[in-house]
Amino acid sequence: MSEKKLKNIFVKGAISPGFIADSIAKHATKTAIGGHNIFMGQVRKDEINGKFVAAIDYTAYEELALTKMDEIREDIFAKYPLNCMHVHHSLGSIQAGEICLFVFTSSAHRKPAMEACNELVERIKAELPIWGKEIFEDETHQWKENI
Amino acid sequence: MKLEIISFGKISEFIRQQQIEISDVINTDQLKSYLETSFPQLAGMKYKLAINQNVIQSNQSLKNEDKVAIMPPFSGG
Repeated sequence: MSEKKLKNIFVKGAISPGFIADSIAKHATKTAIGGHNIFMGQVRKDEINGKFVAAIDYTAYEELALTKMDEIREDIFAKYPLNCMHVHHSLGSIQAGEICLFVFTSSAHRKPAMEACNELVERIKAELPIWGKEIFEDETHQWKENI
Repeated sequence: MKLEIISFGKISEFIRQQQIEISDVINTDQLKSYLETSFPQLAGMKYKLAINQNVIQSNQSLKNEDKVAIMPPFSGG
C-alpha cells in the first residue's frame, strides 16, 4: 500500500451555496479551462406512507470510501482530458433542501467535463461505502436505498 | 481466532462494534454462516464484507485479528 495522503471528500454538515460559489471563483485563474460541469445532490423531501423526510443522516466507512474515491479519481483522470475534478460529500444530518453532494469537473472543451461529471456521480453512488438514514418529521427513520 | 467486527447503515442497528473469538471459522463463507446464525436479522439482507478495508467478492481465508466490516447496499449521494 502506498503511503500517500488520501484527499478527504467529506464535509461535516451541508455544503453551503457560498462554498460552491467560492469553488467556482477559484477557477478564474485557470484560463486553459473552457467548460465546467457541476452536479449538486439535494436532500429531497420525499413523502413515504404519508410522512415527509425532514433530513438525511449520512455515515460512511470513511477510510474505505477515501481509498475507493482515489481509485475512481485516477480512473476518471485517465479516461477524460480534465483540468480539474472536485468531489465533496456531506456527513451527519442534512436538512431537506440542503446540498449533500457537490461534484465539479472542468476541461478545455465541454464534453469531457460533462461526461466525467456524470460518470463520477454514478460511481460515487454505486461504489462509495456511504449510507443515508432518512429521518421523518416525527423522528422515525428508514434507511435510504439508491435506485 | 480473534476478529474485530464493525458494521454500517441498517446493520449497525443490530450488530455493534465488537471483538469476537471463534474457533471453527477459517474463511469468509464460514464467517457469513456464523454471523447469520448469531444475528438472524442479517440472514434476509443483502450485504457485503470488507476484510481490512478490501471488499470481498468471493470466498477468502481469514487470519487472526482481521478487521471485518459488514456493509449493507450503499446509499450515498
